[in-house]
Amino acid sequence: MTNDEAFFGRQLPFQTAPAPDLTATPALKAMGSRLQCQRCGHWLGPQDQLANQAWYCRQCLQLGRLTSQHKLYTIPEPNQLPKLPDGGLTWQGELSAQQQVAAQSVLAHVQSQTNHLLWAVTGAGKTEIVYPALVWALSQGWRVAWTSPRVDVCLELAPRLQAAFANVAQTVLYGDQPQPYQYCPLTICTTHQLLRFQAAFDLIVVDEVDAFPLATSPMLKRAVDHAQKPTGCHLLLTATPGEGLQRRVARKELAVTYVPLRYHGHLLPQIDLQIAWRWREKLRHGHLPVRLIRQLRAYCQAGQRFLLFVPHVADLPLVDRALHLAGITGGVTVHAADEARQEKVQAMRDRRVAFLVTTTILERGVTFPNVAVVILGGDDPVFSTAALVQIAGRVGRSAQFPTGDVTCYCHSYARRVRLARGMIARLNLQGRRQGGRP
Amino acid sequence: MNACVWCGRRLSGVVTVSQLWRWGPLVKTDVCQDCQTRLTPISSQHCPQCGRQQTDETVCHDCQRWAGQPLVNHALYVYDAAMKAYMQQYKFQGDYALRRVLQEPLRLALARESYDILVPIPVDQATWQQRGFNQVTGWLQTQPFQQALLVQATHKDQPQSAKDRAARLRTQQPFTLALNAADILRDQRVLLLDDVYTTGRTLRHAAEQIYLGGAKAVTSLTLAR
Repeated sequence: MTNDEAFFGRQLPFQTAPAPDLTATPALKAMGSRLQCQRCGHWLGPQDQLANQAWYCRQCLQLGRLTSQHKLYTIPEPNQLPKLPDGGLTWQGELSAQQQVAAQSVLAHVQSQTNHLLWAVTGAGKTEIVYPALVWALSQGWRVAWTSPRVDVCLELAPRLQAAFANVAQTVLYGDQPQPYQYCPLTICTTHQLLRFQAAFDLIVVDEVDAFPLATSPMLKRAVDHAQKPTGCHLLLTATPGEGLQRRVARKELAVTYVPLRYHGHLLPQIDLQIAWRWREKLRHGHLPVRLIRQLRAYCQAGQRFLLFVPHVADLPLVDRALHLAGITGGVTVHAADEARQEKVQAMRDRRVAFLVTTTILERGVTFPNVAVVILGGDDPVFSTAALVQIAGRVGRSAQFPTGDVTCYCHSYARRVRLARGMIARLNLQGRRQGGRP
Repeated sequence: MNACVWCGRRLSGVVTVSQLWRWGPLVKTDVCQDCQTRLTPISSQHCPQCGRQQTDETVCHDCQRWAGQPLVNHALYVYDAAMKAYMQQYKFQGDYALRRVLQEPLRLALARESYDILVPIPVDQATWQQRGFNQVTGWLQTQPFQQALLVQATHKDQPQSAKDRAARLRTQQPFTLALNAADILRDQRVLLLDDVYTTGRTLRHAAEQIYLGGAKAVTSLTLAR
């Protein structure tokens, strides 16, 4: 006998029925002359056929292959969850006055079951602002998912939520997780894992909604809608909503709560723009902009630690060599495929290295107290507006060191850089009205 | 537009002068430049028996241990991290479209071999059911081949790729000859085709059966070593 709980609100593929009384739909459904994958929504191409004539979906292959011989089995979500009177909250912290205001607004929207965007600047304490709404949802016996496109965000968040809601059973789902699935009131997962759910959640909190790959993937956007109950709602969290989200806010299709101030009440550092003409050609010959060298040397002498962002992994060795020639040493380079990535980031946290040269992988989700940020080539297309604002947000995150420098070296005053500066300026204007200090 | 079958990135439809000069239909590729060079081809310095990439051209240690049964194998690519990733996605996740990555290199390699009959290593019934294809015949396009071998239906308790060397070498003969195989194989030069040469156990089992069927020579070609 299969465990019923494993099927509550899920869609699991089997070739033969795992248990009698389950609702089943074919995994690939013919819509007109084409087949559509019922898990990820992908339309099959004419070549997606196996040698035994079965069809298969290539898009969600990572979650286990679905073929036309499979069916998806589910039991509609029954909400057999405990209704905790206090929401299981064990968090002892206090919200600041402006966090309190935002939290009330979020709670009101969750109670009225409307979709909502929480636009809170980097370092505003987004997670904590959601707690009151989460407490209310859990006390109603709602099933809640907290999801993010980035696995590092999930992994960092899980212990925090575990500590804050110690009385709530939680499960963490991601690509190669070691624990088996459990039916819990609170599910923390990557957005990919939502593909295994169907009309399961009353509330879905999408953390870092503008991050790759969710921002560019129709499959994942569909997964969020599909995993949510028809009566449910979602709450989007971000510091840097993309143009699409901003448009929906402007058209009043999506309610929004702004938190323009960081939890310590200081404004965001503005990006200081420096034109470095033809920096890429110079870098190819092994030279960095003179002003950049001078600035970094000053940081080294003052003992100021910094992050240097470059556009591409291929630029890392060139920059590293140029820094070495200029006598700026004591740092390491980090990129996404780096095996020692975690150790290097930890070394930076522990102040064992003076600086990191890195790509956009460190744009969000990392906190180093008292760092300066330098961007080389901010006009490169890999730095989106959101990425630039996020990178600037690495500075001044701790209450002891609430300010710092963000310098961006570009060949030209690119549109994305201009928009990023504009976004910071606009948020700071709102922040100043609420009594923010520079 | 077209996307690379392996990495999914858009293929740039650049037409070169030499393609125009050839004055034929444009050759459509399914694989981008990066993915074409992701696998490491085996250079001329390899073991003359098993085709393993090494620094000299002497018979390697593993082949010396196979004293009794010499089998000449050629291999196309080194079995490195990239090849493992490919096999993982193609064979174990069952992404049949990835066969197109290696169809063209295999066509060129087969054109260099001299043989009369091509015999791909079969998959057993349970694997066929589960995977939906034979990973070896997937790489063949129009090349004629003979399914002269059958694999015993008893399902293996453990896949070959999950065993260590000693356990692999203890594997019993899994193959039998197909019904009409003896007529096809008599006095023919046979080329066996398989995906990975690891210890050589599978190919030697297959070669034994092919010789029993009356073939006069058996060599083998594998995608990876």
